[in-house]
Amino acid sequence: MKRLLVALFGLALVLPSVALAASDTAEEDKGAFISEEWDLHTWIPIHLGPLDLSINKAVAYLLLGALCSCLIGIVFMRVKVGREPTRRQALGETIYEIAQVQVAEQGLPTHAIGRWFPYCASLMVFIWTVNMLGFIPLPLSDEKVTIFGVELPTLAIFAATSTLSVTLALALMTWTFTHVEGIRVNGSWNYLKSWIPDVPKPMLPLIILLEVLGQFMRLISLSVRLYANMLAGHMLILTFLGLIIVLENAFLAIFAVPFAAVFYLFEVVIVVSIQAYIFAALSAIYIGSAIEPDH
Amino acid sequence: MLSTFLVLAAADDGVDAGKAIALALGIGLGSLGAGIGIGNIFGSMIQAVARQPELRGELQGIQWLGFALTEAVVFYGLIGGLLAYVLV
Repeated sequence: MKRLLVALFGLALVLPSVALAASDTAEEDKGAFISEEWDLHTWIPIHLGPLDLSINKAVAYLLLGALCSCLIGIVFMRVKVGREPTRRQALGETIYEIAQVQVAEQGLPTHAIGRWFPYCASLMVFIWTVNMLGFIPLPLSDEKVTIFGVELPTLAIFAATSTLSVTLALALMTWTFTHVEGIRVNGSWNYLKSWIPDVPKPMLPLIILLEVLGQFMRLISLSVRLYANMLAGHMLILTFLGLIIVLENAFLAIFAVPFAAVFYLFEVVIVVSIQAYIFAALSAIYIGSAIEPDH
Repeated sequence: MLSTFLVLAAADDGVDAGKAIALALGIGLGSLGAGIGIGNIFGSMIQAVARQPELRGELQGIQWLGFALTEAVVFYGLIGGLLAYVLV
């Protein structure tokens, strides 16, 4: 039974690639379809003055992710919570415990947990959901396929977090909250002073420059880490499957599909959860270190 | 066979080759460093757990934090290479 499932899964992965390999592609850039996956075409144009709020693939995934993470919270932690936990409630409590023990208590000082736990926990759940949705084939793509005369979008995997704007917005949120909270708790002068460590006087200008630069590097590292992880994961899978099409050899599927499947599993099992955890934990650590600078 | 290949290579002005080298260097050197770093982290984790198995739970959080921070280094290289590949 299990073997049959594996074989069917492999076959399902092979068949579309063989079909695609049969269709002729332009001689020049056969590998272009890999980067085209990240071209965001406007689906529903919405323009508010100079702001472009159009709905495209990434926005659709984000909306779906927001909906799903709300559902995770409501279903696992709100609906019918009782003294004797069901399996559903136990899972909800596990999620809560990870957010509490592993994320919030790692970084935030005790008196700030009440205020900042909701932010860090929702960040964790939201990023995990969006990452996870990125590895479930969903009919949300720009390509169309006609089945029985009905034009449907093809199944595709795409993570909203593999676009830089999404992760940059999330990182900007954490970054802004860090400084706002630091100034609110410590006062602006004390907070700025807390950036500078004890060093000899002549070193001071260099250290100040480095510390200020470091604050901005946090923004870059926080956003690029999540972005590049998801991008590289999808690109690896796509490249391995794309080799079949680029080299126009269907028998490559024997090697390419298992490799792609292994990377897929690696991403789903490890990377998705770790990146969500890291992003939330680092947010907690940054905010915590702004509240209590001496730690 | 080889001569046609060389002629083809000479016909190209070398820009694409440069881009490819940039991308490969970005990924290659990035993963070299991160490989050493990740190996260090897991090696130290094994040693630590072998010495004090009761600390495993506490160490695991730090381990994954360190893993993700180190692993990200590959992707900084990758993004640098991709920027060179796409933008230049």
